[in-house]
Amino acid sequence: MPEREKLIEIKDLQITFGSGRKAFVAVDHVNFDIYKGETFSLVGESGSGKTTIGRAITRINPVSAGEILFKGQRISGKISKELDKQVIKKCQMIFQDPMASLNERAKVDYIVSEGLINHHLYKDEDDRKRKVEYALREVGLLPEFASRFPHEFSGGQRQRIGIARALIMEPEFVVADEPISALDVSIRAQVLNLLNRLKASRGLTYLFIAHDLSVVRFISDRIAVIHKGRIVELAEAEELFLHPLHPYTKALLSAVPIPDPELEKKKKLLVYDPSIHDYSSDKPIWEEILPGHFIYGNKKELEQYRREIKA
Amino acid sequence: MAKEPILSARDIEIQFTLRGKVLKAIRKCSLDLYEGETLAIVGESGSGKSVFTKSFLGMLDANGSIVGGSIMYNGTDISKYKTEKEWMTIRGKKISMVMQDPMTSLNPLKKIGKQIQESIELNQGIKGEQAKKLAIEMLAKVGIPDPERRANQYPHEFSGGMRQRVVIAIAVACRPQILVCDEPTTALDVTIQAQILDLIRSLQRELNMTVIYITHDLGVVANVADRVAVMYAGQIVEYGMVDEIFYNPWHPYTWALLSSLPQLGVKGEDLPTIDGTPPNLFYEVKGDAFAPRNQQALAIDFEEEPPFFEVTATHKAKTWYLDPRAPKIEQPKSIKKLREQMQK
Repeated sequence: MPEREKLIEIKDLQITFGSGRKAFVAVDHVNFDIYKGETFSLVGESGSGKTTIGRAITRINPVSAGEILFKGQRISGKISKELDKQVIKKCQMIFQDPMASLNERAKVDYIVSEGLINHHLYKDEDDRKRKVEYALREVGLLPEFASRFPHEFSGGQRQRIGIARALIMEPEFVVADEPISALDVSIRAQVLNLLNRLKASRGLTYLFIAHDLSVVRFISDRIAVIHKGRIVELAEAEELFLHPLHPYTKALLSAVPIPDPELEKKKKLLVYDPSIHDYSSDKPIWEEILPGHFIYGNKKELEQYRREIKA
Repeated sequence: MAKEPILSARDIEIQFTLRGKVLKAIRKCSLDLYEGETLAIVGESGSGKSVFTKSFLGMLDANGSIVGGSIMYNGTDISKYKTEKEWMTIRGKKISMVMQDPMTSLNPLKKIGKQIQESIELNQGIKGEQAKKLAIEMLAKVGIPDPERRANQYPHEFSGGMRQRVVIAIAVACRPQILVCDEPTTALDVTIQAQILDLIRSLQRELNMTVIYITHDLGVVANVADRVAVMYAGQIVEYGMVDEIFYNPWHPYTWALLSSLPQLGVKGEDLPTIDGTPPNLFYEVKGDAFAPRNQQALAIDFEEEPPFFEVTATHKAKTWYLDPRAPKIEQPKSIKKLREQMQK
């Protein structure tokens, strides 16, 4: 594999909420890199910590151990004001629920240009207007919409506003936190196409957070499966779908409904039982079992996974 | 089919009055429901699938009313019911509903056990201790471990999946004949979703219920449904057995729905999308409501509303494509490919 530029590196990341006796470790021992220009997906059930990781990268949640590197520079913990500003500009986030993530009392014009205003990224009023217009056009909205309020738009349009708001900062890296799960089927396809088009035209890199595996397969280059704050498996998208190894990945894949009545009714549902892992003496490690295919397990399990690959 | 339907809606029209304007949410919609079957109603948001089924329970919002047609159930036309008292003989007892969001459909100030007990006391006339016992039994039945302790807890102590189980317990506590599930799993995770679908299926078998699913997830439809009805702009545009809808659909809207599935996507290419928006139902719709968004629409689609054409005895579609005079139109390729794609 040719050496690709790493945009984000996450090393032994741990995120804790609360402190003292009440401390809760939401994310632990997470390691992965995101290459420039790829779509990296993070999949897991609710409460698994996938959003927390995304928020840590955009510096919304503090990190309790480990570090996050952006273009080789540490961006977690205490950093200079200068760098902080840069990270905020270069790493943007698209939120899940377009009904809740837009300020109901502000016009689209303000919502989209809020980042510009905060960072003084425009020369004069005309420049700002031009930038807003350009961002709106790019996501398939009309510039006239700038003078309207969020409640005048449908769910799909609102999500486009959310995307325009992220784009106007000219980011290199976008965290898309379940951007389509609140949308209708027919609109989902439109938003996915838009995200894919922008990736190509702007050279964006995405961290795509989702719980719906069917969508993830279509858009991502690599997928990481997360369970209870730990990444259990990471592989290229097709590889993960065709040869899942970890029992949790298998369970997750079996739970996705297939839109084909015959196959769906024949399908066997697998249930994941975390107690099958005996990690009391044999400690689990994060191992590259095949080139590019990582898995979390102890020696005995890795043995078994290797046999499975050969079979 | 020789079987008698247990519920039969004929030419239902429902209107809402909004700020003095009249919105025709349901435009002459007919539906037969047979005993023991699972019917799935699919369509995008705003197509009227919830409104249509809510009318079977008299649960329309205050500004909405049934203005035409009939709903025959047990020999009476329930669409003529006016008072809450009349509806209470049906709602909860004969026809029950499971709502979409378990976070908002439970009372946060009441214990779980009490909420189930309430439904039993109201509808079955069993009071006090005995009703409480029944409530705990129901909790066990929907798969909640340690039901006696859980009955004394409040909704916030339950996870999303567990709450949905409680909502189902309330709905089926009185052993209804028909259970309407309005997007029962959209707010849940995939793994939990599979469990809830299994639960509804086993309860259906055990209590011999007829289930109507409202959903926009075609994967869920493939999992649960015997029959499927596709709704668009306040009308059912196609209905048939689940295999017929997935493998041999005829309405262009059904085609569009199926081909915009992300599972059919090819990496690096755009997913097919449905352009445009559904018609504004404040205005009269002329011809086939889907025609403006259909690139292969026929001239007559814009002029005259198509009737239902029969594909098989159980499968009908409301499109001019099936008229013998229509030019030959092929089903889109991506749908024929559906089969192969899914096997991967």
